[in-house]
Amino acid sequence: MFENVLSTMIFLPVLAGLVLLMLPISQCAARRLGLAATIIILILGIRLAFGFSGAGGMEFSEVREILPTLGIQYSLGIDGISLFVLLTSALLFPLVFLVMTNQTKGCYGNLLIAQGTMAGAICATDLILFYIFWELMLLPIFFMIGIYGGPKKLPATIKIMLYTVAGSLLMLAAILYLGVAYHSQFGHWSFSAANLANLTLGGTAAVLAFAGFMLAFAIKIPLFPLHTWLPDAYTEAPPTATFVLSAIMAKIGVYAVIRFVIPTFEVEFARYALLLACSGVIGMIYCGIAAIGQKDIKRLLAFSSASHMGIIALGVFCMNIQALTGTLFQIVAHATSTGILFLFVGMLEERMGSREISDLGGIARKAPVFAFFFAIAMLASVGLPGTSGFIGEFLIILGAIKFNTAIGVLAGTTLIIGVCYMLWMFQRVFFEKSNERTSSFKDLTPIEALAFLPVILLILIMGIYPQPFIAKIEPAAKEQIASLLPAVQVANYTVLPKGQVSEHK
Amino acid sequence: MNCDIVPIIPLGIVGLGAVILMMLAAFEKIHLEVAAVFSMCVFALAFVMQLLPTGPSDMAPYSELFRGMLVTNGFTKVAALIILACGFFTAMSSTSYFRQNSFCTLEFYCLLIFSVWGMLLLTMARELITVFISLEIFSLCIYVLVGYNRRSATSAEAVLKYLMLGAFAGSFFTMGTALVYGAVRSTGFAAIATFIAENGFLETPALVGGVFFILFAFLFKIAAFPFHAWVIDVYDGASVPVTGFMATALKTAIFAVLVNFLSLDAGLKGAWLDILFYITVFTLFAGNLIAIGQSNLKRMLAASGIVHTGYLLIAVIAVGDNALSGNIILFYLAAYAASTLGIFASLSYLGGQDEKRCSFDDFKGLAKVRPYSAAAITVFLLSMAGIPPTAGFMGKFYIITTAFQSGQALLAVLGIVSSILSMWYYLRLIIAMYFHEANEPFEIEASPFAPICTLILAACVFAIGLYPMVI
Repeated sequence: MFENVLSTMIFLPVLAGLVLLMLPISQCAARRLGLAATIIILILGIRLAFGFSGAGGMEFSEVREILPTLGIQYSLGIDGISLFVLLTSALLFPLVFLVMTNQTKGCYGNLLIAQGTMAGAICATDLILFYIFWELMLLPIFFMIGIYGGPKKLPATIKIMLYTVAGSLLMLAAILYLGVAYHSQFGHWSFSAANLANLTLGGTAAVLAFAGFMLAFAIKIPLFPLHTWLPDAYTEAPPTATFVLSAIMAKIGVYAVIRFVIPTFEVEFARYALLLACSGVIGMIYCGIAAIGQKDIKRLLAFSSASHMGIIALGVFCMNIQALTGTLFQIVAHATSTGILFLFVGMLEERMGSREISDLGGIARKAPVFAFFFAIAMLASVGLPGTSGFIGEFLIILGAIKFNTAIGVLAGTTLIIGVCYMLWMFQRVFFEKSNERTSSFKDLTPIEALAFLPVILLILIMGIYPQPFIAKIEPAAKEQIASLLPAVQVANYTVLPKGQVSEHK
Repeated sequence: MNCDIVPIIPLGIVGLGAVILMMLAAFEKIHLEVAAVFSMCVFALAFVMQLLPTGPSDMAPYSELFRGMLVTNGFTKVAALIILACGFFTAMSSTSYFRQNSFCTLEFYCLLIFSVWGMLLLTMARELITVFISLEIFSLCIYVLVGYNRRSATSAEAVLKYLMLGAFAGSFFTMGTALVYGAVRSTGFAAIATFIAENGFLETPALVGGVFFILFAFLFKIAAFPFHAWVIDVYDGASVPVTGFMATALKTAIFAVLVNFLSLDAGLKGAWLDILFYITVFTLFAGNLIAIGQSNLKRMLAASGIVHTGYLLIAVIAVGDNALSGNIILFYLAAYAASTLGIFASLSYLGGQDEKRCSFDDFKGLAKVRPYSAAAITVFLLSMAGIPPTAGFMGKFYIITTAFQSGQALLAVLGIVSSILSMWYYLRLIIAMYFHEANEPFEIEASPFAPICTLILAACVFAIGLYPMVI
């Protein structure tokens, strides 16, 4: 089992999910089955983490030819970039099955399928394989929102589906273009990411192919101005789907930029980095301001999530080690904090039947443990020192100032918006007067509290002692940046001043 | 003479089967469903014979078979296999359909087998008169099949439209043949190819005119823009199994002969490339725009058939520039046939009496009541939309890759854009089936044939998608 650990982490949940959907079992049994599957995945993930050497390069590789005539391989592998995304997913999923007890059987089944397909997208190192998982991971979300979503689910599903499919089909065109270009330059077919990085691309075609990739990922992240599907989809989705979307799926967008776009399109990436970085900052500020005005707590978190994805994306476009390390760190930090915030909101809604901020109040007195955990996750989300969010955002802003002072300063100062809407929301929901609705709110049961505890501890440990995490991330980040540096100098517009470039060498 | 017979054994089996069934029908000795099973057996037997290694399986374009009138090679073999499979599944799913609709007689299956016979002949034809004869053989059968439900007004309208326009196309074809014969003094493909190689294509005006008329007829039959308008009404008017049969088998046969004809000579194809480019683009987008506006499922599928014709035309344009492209058209046709037949098989048992369920709204909540049927239809729709890991995805993958490889990058990108548009109407049915509550219990009285057929085809959709990985 451990030789093919990555395959197991992909196909075990998918199979479990399919079985769960087809078998006529009760909702409770379905949840237990799902929990068992996700715990197995978590154990595999922990073993994976201890077996991971962090020396750079792919580990736990599995390569099989699936279509030799076209060079398509079933090739999996993880490095410092993908390891943490995969682990975060493995860590968070059992939590969902533990605390979200009132979901339907179909929801649990789709959740498992989503976990497996996302693991596939994270581990794939062949572009066609990646594309297959990339498309497949949307399907469970589509069905979850469409079948179990809120009252305005239909427009939300259609929006998210058309947006993401449009992006990913154009990416498919770009992938095929790369494959054909590789064939004509090297005389044989290959879609492996490592091979495609050797391509010499140029001209309009390269820019268009780059745009094809970036569009797909920018929609998934989402980057301003392609974020308009997000508030509706996040709000209408059942809590489990919102959790998957915000905690893992959005991160896969960022991850894919680092994994596939940067090595292949160094020159184009360097040329358009400033534009993309601006889009990240604008999205961060715009969604932050939009979040202040929200009356629905889930919608507020949706905008907050979009705003934070803006800064995470910014870290990628700054093209230096600090920012990239910060981004990879922040991917984990944000996934844990936002993921559980959405779960908390799901519990609030499940227990009180309302998400309107004005309907709530005084929960802290009724449910101190719940409020305490919520507060920690929230503070991590806004980046309070001592929590994981601080380290990530600090590194990103450090890198951003290095990249472009104006952008860095703008990003750094507008972080305050996040504090505004979060603390204000927290005050209105957890303090102030309680009403009939909230007075009956029950605190977390010991089991639920225990389930949340590891994640809360992780948030704190990552905030206080980030060194072991950064040590595993940094080599991979260095590798990426090293591959990018020549391109930065080649690009028509030198983005980094020369002095800074030589500093990294 | 002996070696001439061997490659056409499948053709013989199908022809013999048709004649036997016609005799039995004349004396009304057998039951309808026995006739269906009989025709399934005929198709299955011919399919197996076709699989046997008789004759050359290479891609030699010409042979001495029947003085060069026919050829069997790898290409015609696979095309024939697809057509036979289409006939098989049509016969299979029609039994369920005719449990709920009573206008069937034994001749239905005779005509079905005869039309398959004509199509098989068409894929092998290497001579214009043979092409015309086989074209007419199956066209006549299909005219009758379209109008089989005599009491239905839409059916009558459909057959009238199809017959009139089809007759036009047929006469254009003969006109073209006459012009080509006038220039070349032969109707054999080999002779035409030799003539063009010696004298050039554009230098002979009669030949250019003749090929124009012939292409006109082919483009009409595959419903390419601007000859696409008949498709919607005809598909809508025909009964569900016939529509499925027309959408798949007929298209396979015509594309087989179109590819053969265009690959006669690079000069012949090169002269039409620009025109074909625009026809392809307009076919893709006209099909999509028509499909988006439909509320009736059959009409939507007809319009989406136009879009798939567009994809196949991309492949036709890109074919011939490299070794890979020879088989991609057949692959796409097989993938398309599996998913389209699958949807029509599901419609033939879910449609109910007199096809009362035919719009998107009629299928609301199907997943709640009949989850397996809904899942199968979803698989077919996702395959048509080209979502991995279905056959449709691999088909599109090959076509777009080939288009890039032959330098048609614009066409490749437009193909992708058109598949984004097509997501809308495929998703619409999925949304109707899954995201709404059921208004009715979807009770059906049908033989288990069509549901089994649906199941097999759903498996086929994955099997065809994975097939290239097996070999």
